[in-house]
Amino acid sequence: MRGRRYGPAVLLVLTGAAVLRVTLFSDLYLRYVQAGLRPYLIVSGVALVLLGVTTAALRREAYEDEGQGHVEHEGHGGPDEHDGHSHGAAGPRVAWLLTLPAVALLLFPPPALGSYSAGREAAQRAAQGVGSFPALPAGNPVELSVAQFGSRAIYDSGRSLKGRTVRMTGFVTHGDDGTWYVTRLLVSCCAADATTSKVEVRGDDAPPTDTWVTVTGAWHPRGKLGSDAAWPPVLDATSVRQVKQPADPYEKR
Amino acid sequence: MQNQRTVVDGVRLVVRALVYAVLGGAALIAIATVFSVLGPTLALDLYTPPVAAWWTVFTAIAVQGVPFLLLGTVVSAAIGAFVPERVFTRLLPRNPALAVPVAGAAGVVLPGCECASVPVAGSLMRRGVAPAAALAFLLSAPAINPVVLVATSIAFPGQPKMVLARLVASLATAVVMGWLWARFGKDEWLRMPASRGGDGGPDASGPRAFLAGLQHDFLHAGGFLVLGAAAAATFNIAVPRSVLDLFTGTALAAVPLLAVLAVVLCVCSQADAFVAASLSAFPLTARLAFMVVGPMVDLKLIALQAGTFGRAFAVRFSSATWVAAVTSSVLVGWWLL
Repeated sequence: MRGRRYGPAVLLVLTGAAVLRVTLFSDLYLRYVQAGLRPYLIVSGVALVLLGVTTAALRREAYEDEGQGHVEHEGHGGPDEHDGHSHGAAGPRVAWLLTLPAVALLLFPPPALGSYSAGREAAQRAAQGVGSFPALPAGNPVELSVAQFGSRAIYDSGRSLKGRTVRMTGFVTHGDDGTWYVTRLLVSCCAADATTSKVEVRGDDAPPTDTWVTVTGAWHPRGKLGSDAAWPPVLDATSVRQVKQPADPYEKR
Repeated sequence: MQNQRTVVDGVRLVVRALVYAVLGGAALIAIATVFSVLGPTLALDLYTPPVAAWWTVFTAIAVQGVPFLLLGTVVSAAIGAFVPERVFTRLLPRNPALAVPVAGAAGVVLPGCECASVPVAGSLMRRGVAPAAALAFLLSAPAINPVVLVATSIAFPGQPKMVLARLVASLATAVVMGWLWARFGKDEWLRMPASRGGDGGPDASGPRAFLAGLQHDFLHAGGFLVLGAAAAATFNIAVPRSVLDLFTGTALAAVPLLAVLAVVLCVCSQADAFVAASLSAFPLTARLAFMVVGPMVDLKLIALQAGTFGRAFAVRFSSATWVAAVTSSVLVGWWLL
């Protein structure tokens, strides 16, 4: 009977706790959504926990008000009964589905998307025409995202990458005939909209798939700007260093 | 005597506790061993990369939907508990044919994605707003709010026409669907939840009704969000996007193809412009259709609508909306792009 009475409250607290566990107490949320959503998620998590606690308190009050008519044995708690079709105190039954993502987040947070997802779609070229880009920031080597490197390598009529040493971080994927790429997924809202960008690395042996690496090197121009032959962009690597997976496994657009 | 009995009782209790502890402990250890030996191998066998990716996409859609769903249910519960009916009858024109475009244009004010608009439309109907007007709001709110339009202009730099086309096509679809409902819709297709159960009756108002409504609406819609997320994740993993490359050649096939893709991918309306922009091999009109259909018809929305308004409604309404959205995208694309 308890499960029935407090079911909605438990579900709300569970959902709120799961959201808080991946936002407030860790950076795990970055595996699923983009960084800008964090404050909204924290507010929602706190609100859900509070709502759950209030609901439980109101329920208790309501049952106590109902009088001593039927006394329930509360000692054993009993199994959750949500067999009834009643839509009342037990809350909507479909809501129990919320336990799936909540428990997954609390106990076994799913991993960030990696080479499997990157391999399933052909890497998208950024949708843009050939043109000039703003000057690259100072620094040697200059830190770039894989996507930025790709669009400058293929579309920059000013050839701003020429003569510069660049550094990028991503995970390793393998192509046919021994080529390998440093790859990164781009996420604009949540992991469901991930798209891939990748840069072929030459001059160093391929680490195993899904290893996170920071590569430093120089742009290796090829093909005509904006043409299919220029794709994918190539980097002549001078150093390939294994690194830990960054807190934010995706690049923001 | 008395003392002896208590001692005997005490000894008996201790012995019993020991026996329980040993037997139960042994059983627990046995179970734990079996699980720790078999569990990981079994789990690893089942936890292949596609399964892992499915879980990630599934939780991602659910997590991403939570703040918007909560916003929507807060607004809808507040409407239900604090806003008297006469406010809406005063704000909206009496004639449904006029109320529909007004409600459609009012969609600009709800800065959320589509998860938020379903509960709000539901509570508008409960508050006596004509279903046709509430449905126009339901369709237009996630598509034409400022957040979405700004995202669209960022995704298509240097193509302000795309933003205008999206605004016009989405608003047109919403208004046409509202009018169609006013003319042909039947009330028996709509199953409105008469009471939301819990602590307050349907007619209650004030903070207590607000809390009861909020709790019920969030759990109800949340369950359907999870259902939709599971369907979307399944399609996301099962249908590789590279399949699309087969269809890029013909413009005639591209429009319906991307319109179907919008339904199965369930990208939220604030992000779909970026996905549309990345589908650069397709003609602009097809990408417009992707952005017009996405916020109005997708698996997670169909699940949410089925939960709120009933299955009979969701199936009819979503398929009609899909046709209307595709038609209006083609017309607007032909006119503007």
